[in-house]
Order: sequence, then structure tokens, then C-alpha cells
Amino acid sequence: MRWLTLYARSRQVPASVTALLISTTALWFLTAGDTPGFRMASIALATAVAVMAVGLGGQDLDLDRTAAVRWLPRRAAHVLLIGTLAATALLALQSAGPDLAPTAFVIRDSAGLMGLAALAATAFGAQYAWTLPFAWPTIAFFIPHADSNAFRASTWMLQPPDTPAATWTALTLAVLGTTAYAVAGPRR
Amino acid sequence: MNRRILGIELRRSAAPWAGVLVVVVAFGFLYSFSGPWGHSAEDWTEQWTNAAGWGRFLLNVLWPLVVGAGALQGLRDHRSGVGELLSSTPRPVLHRALKTLGATAITLAAGYLVIFAVAAVQVVANEGYFHLGWVPTVLVGVLGMVAGAWLGIGVGRTLPSALTPPLLALASLVGITFLTLGSDPASSLGGAVPMRVSLLSPALSGVRDVFAVVSDRVSAGQAVWLVGMAATGLLLATASTARRRLVSLLPVAVGAAVALAVLPADRAQTYVVDQAATELVCQGRLCVTKMHEAQLATAGGQAEEALRLLAKLPDPPTGVREVVIAKSDTGVRPRSATEVTATFDDLDLGEVGAGKLTRRLVSGAGAPTCFGWGDSTTRDQYEKATRETIARSVAASWFVDSYAPPHDTRNSDYPEYRESNDLAKRTWDSLRALPADEQLARMTALRSVSLSCQGDQLDALTGGAP
Repeated sequence: MRWLTLYARSRQVPASVTALLISTTALWFLTAGDTPGFRMASIALATAVAVMAVGLGGQDLDLDRTAAVRWLPRRAAHVLLIGTLAATALLALQSAGPDLAPTAFVIRDSAGLMGLAALAATAFGAQYAWTLPFAWPTIAFFIPHADSNAFRASTWMLQPPDTPAATWTALTLAVLGTTAYAVAGPRR
Repeated sequence: MNRRILGIELRRSAAPWAGVLVVVVAFGFLYSFSGPWGHSAEDWTEQWTNAAGWGRFLLNVLWPLVVGAGALQGLRDHRSGVGELLSSTPRPVLHRALKTLGATAITLAAGYLVIFAVAAVQVVANEGYFHLGWVPTVLVGVLGMVAGAWLGIGVGRTLPSALTPPLLALASLVGITFLTLGSDPASSLGGAVPMRVSLLSPALSGVRDVFAVVSDRVSAGQAVWLVGMAATGLLLATASTARRRLVSLLPVAVGAAVALAVLPADRAQTYVVDQAATELVCQGRLCVTKMHEAQLATAGGQAEEALRLLAKLPDPPTGVREVVIAKSDTGVRPRSATEVTATFDDLDLGEVGAGKLTRRLVSGAGAPTCFGWGDSTTRDQYEKATRETIARSVAASWFVDSYAPPHDTRNSDYPEYRESNDLAKRTWDSLRALPADEQLARMTALRSVSLSCQGDQLDALTGGAP
């Protein structure tokens, strides 16, 4: 328990969770009346993942690595927890009020964005972990509509839940990101 | 000393990365997706106005990225923990801040101008109509990039937390999307944001009409607001006390107030028609707008040829004239019994291939289509428009005396296209089987239908037979 508390503190979990709760509630509150809410739902989830992602690295990585603990499962658990938290926050609000997006949509987007955050943390470092889950939706919003799998894959976070290309893209990102981060850890 | 530090900032901070990011994202967007920026006359490489307008459209994507990059840049001192050390030096904070801000501004402005320059080179190669109406549009775009980044740096220095960049970047994404979409009545927000407020977004919604330039009032209002934002960013980056930080918010507030007073309240005043570009230039019997002047030489011969072919008619048109219509115009296009009226797109040689203009001008016996952009929404309308297309195509074949089907089915083999082509071929064969004076009589009947838009052109060709 003590380990967990210290780990959470070194990963700025209290601040991140506060930011996550405030931002998700604010976005949901402001836009829940609008339909279709896929855009806003994906922004809300991207924000949630982005603010949690800054904790994908500690104060001193060299010091972390001297610890005689098995990092691989802990890192994987951390990434999965980010996705779970992001999805849970929105789903909890939706169960209390109007829906922004279906449950399957929320789970798929959280999984994919979580993977992106983990990939960015592995490639660029924890303080840049938010860049990919932020940049992809930003670009995807303005990709012109086309009837092709390339379009559905590149705008996976905006597609309806029963789109295979989008689901596979999200799943690939989730698996790739979680594995990469669990094995390699954040870049220094 | 100053130059050296600026040079180091330009090479080793986040500034060059931000510039590269802007260019990569912009070209990735323009070249990998086929959007409205790659179509017909509104193509981003066809005209100066288009090049500037699509650059501003890209700010929808680039601006949030730039704000995020600025916030990362602003957090640098906090991350490396040198704040205390640097505050012990007697040099004013402004001196050091200016180098970071300057380097970021230089690379971002350069990145934005590279995008415009690539477009401009192609515009020159495509012989676009040159004017200076695009200059404010581009300058406001550069200002928007710089203001966004400076605001990011300022906020990053004021709130030095790892959470600041993601929150700020996403807030700016939500903000700019809200502003851009909010004024559009067709969007899900349904015009909830007044036009005036929506124009505070540094991005534009894209180019819809080649003759429309952003009005000076809009550019001026946006410039004031963005200068205010940049000033706030600069002040925030150098402020050290809570009171000064509060004062730093003044420029952006004043900028917003002035901008809201200057910006127009309705959509019609946002864009103005470039009158100089719509003036007609004539050569022989062909008159085109100033914007098409470069094509006069190529198009002139084909227009003469079309008029020569149309001279078979008893009351033939005696000239070809370009008419300016907005894409939003509804109702039938202007037509005339004495002249062939062509639209900008009709005369766009790059789009159809230079050899096809004659055929296009003689289709419908020298009168434009009776159907507008949004006129095929109902089944009945669609049917009528399809019959008209077939009749126009057969008429064109008759005038140039060589048959060509209305639809090219080599690439897209829709069943509707094949049906149309079959009907066109049947009509063509039965028309050609008639005696010469009867053929001419039917073509004259088609012309009177297409001039009045009363009746069915295909019926006129077949003499009422199915």
C-alpha cells in the first residue's frame, strides 16, 4: 500500500485525476445536449487520457530503474488504468444523465487513445505523452469524408462503434502502445 | 551576444520542431487527402485567393498544435529548474524572454509562409489572376500562429505544471472548433455562435468562391484581437507578480472588445466580391473575367469554333461571355439568346482538358443547363436533370459531328451511367436517321427549350417519341 501511494504521488496522479474529473464533467455538461456527440465524446476522452498521460514517467528514471521491482506488469497496469479511468469517468456521467456516445464507442476510443499516449511516452518521454492522443483527433476532425477503409482507419475515433476498420485500428494502437511502454518504459 | 543566443534558441529549443511540425502537418493534409481544396476552380494551387484561403483553413488544425507547442516551450525553464538561478542575474526578464518568443515566432512564421510559398509557386505556374487582396489574409494567418504560440508560452510560464500543455492545447482545440462550427447553421451546433464572435477564430472555413476575398473589416478586427493575444502572451511570459499577471490579461480583453466592435455581424459582409477580378476582358467574340485573362489565348480559338458551329442555327448566338455566379445562388443561371453564357467552371481549361471547351460550349445548343447545384434532391428533379444531361450531350455531338457518350464509364461503371449512355446513343441514332432540315428543326426546338427552361430538351430532340 505504501508503495502504491508513493508511486501515485511521484506520477502526479492526484493532480491528473482532479484535472480528468473537472475536464470530463465540464465537456460533458457543456455538450451533452447536442447530437451527434461523437466529436465531443472523443475530445473529452482525449483530454482525459492526455491529462493522465503526463504521469507516465517519474521524477528520476535512473532512480526508478535501481528499484528491485518488476516494472513490466506495473507499467502495463498503469497504462491500462489510464484507459479504464478515462472510460469510467465518461460512462459514469452518462449513466447519470444524457448520453454523449454509446458505451462501445467510449471503450474503443479510450483504448486507442490510451495506446497512443503510451506510444508517445515511449517515443518522446512522459512530458510529451499527451501529444499523440491530442494531435490525431485534431487532424481527424478535418479529414474530408470518403468511403474507404483508409478514411475509416484514419478517423477511427469518430466512427460509429460498429466500424471494423476503426475498431481494429484502436485495438492495434492499444496493444502496441501498452506493450511498447511495458517493455521499454518512458524515454528519458 | 543577442544574435548568438537567438541562434541557439533557433537551433536547440522546441522552436524549430514547431516550425517543422506546421509544415509537415499542412502538406500531409493537403496532399494525402482529397478534399475541397483539390477540386475545380477552388483548388488551393489555382488562384492567389485560394492559396491564402486554404492556408487559413489549415489553422483549424495547426492553431491548437501551435498553442500546445508554445506551452511546452514555456515550461522549459521550470522543467530544467533554472528559474532561481536566472532570477539572480541583473538582466531584465524581458531580454531573455524575447529570444525564446522571437525564435518561436520566426520558425512558425517561416513554416506558415513556406506553405503559402509552395502554393504561390504553383499559382504562378497555373497562371492565376494576380492581385493583392490575399495579402491581409496571409498576414493575419502569420499573426494567428505567432499569437497562439506566445499565448502558449505565457500560460506555460504562469502555470508551470506538466498538465498545462495538454489542457491548454485541448482547450484551444475545443475553442476553435466551437467558433468555426458554431456559426455554421448546417452544423450540429446550428448557428449558436453569432457571426461576430465566430470570426474571432483565426481559422477560416475554406474557399467556396474564387471571386470572394476576405473583407478588410474582418482582417482588421482579427488582427487587433490577435495582436492583443500576442501582447498578453508576451506580458505573461515576463510577469513575476500576481498583480502583473492580472494586468497582462488587459491587452487580450481590449483586443477582443475592439475586434467585436469592428467585425461584421452577418455572413454577407465577411467576404466581398473582388470587383476588379470580375471585370470582363474581351478578345474577338469571347469575353471572360479578368481572372481568366491568361486563358483567353487558348480559349479564344475554341470559342470561335463553337460560334462557327452554332451558326447553323436560324438565330445563332454571336458571342461567348463569362457570367459570375456564386455557388450559393439558387435558381436558373443567366442565359441569353444572343450570347453563349459560360460560368467560371465551364471555362476552367485545367479541369476538363483544353480540347473539350468547344464541345462544352455547344452542348444544349449554346445555352447553359436549367438545373442548379442543389436541384437534384428529389427523384423527379433528378430524372429531369438526367434527361437534360443526355439531350445536351447529344446536341453537342450533333454540332461537333462526332458522337461521345454523356458519361465516361471507363472509371466509374454505375448502372445509371450505362442507362444514360444507352438512351443517348438511341437518341443520337434516331436523330441522325432524319432528313437534314428535320434535324436542324429539332435542334432549334431544343435551343428554345434550353433558353426558356420550359419543357423537356430530350422530348424536343426526339420530337416527343420516347
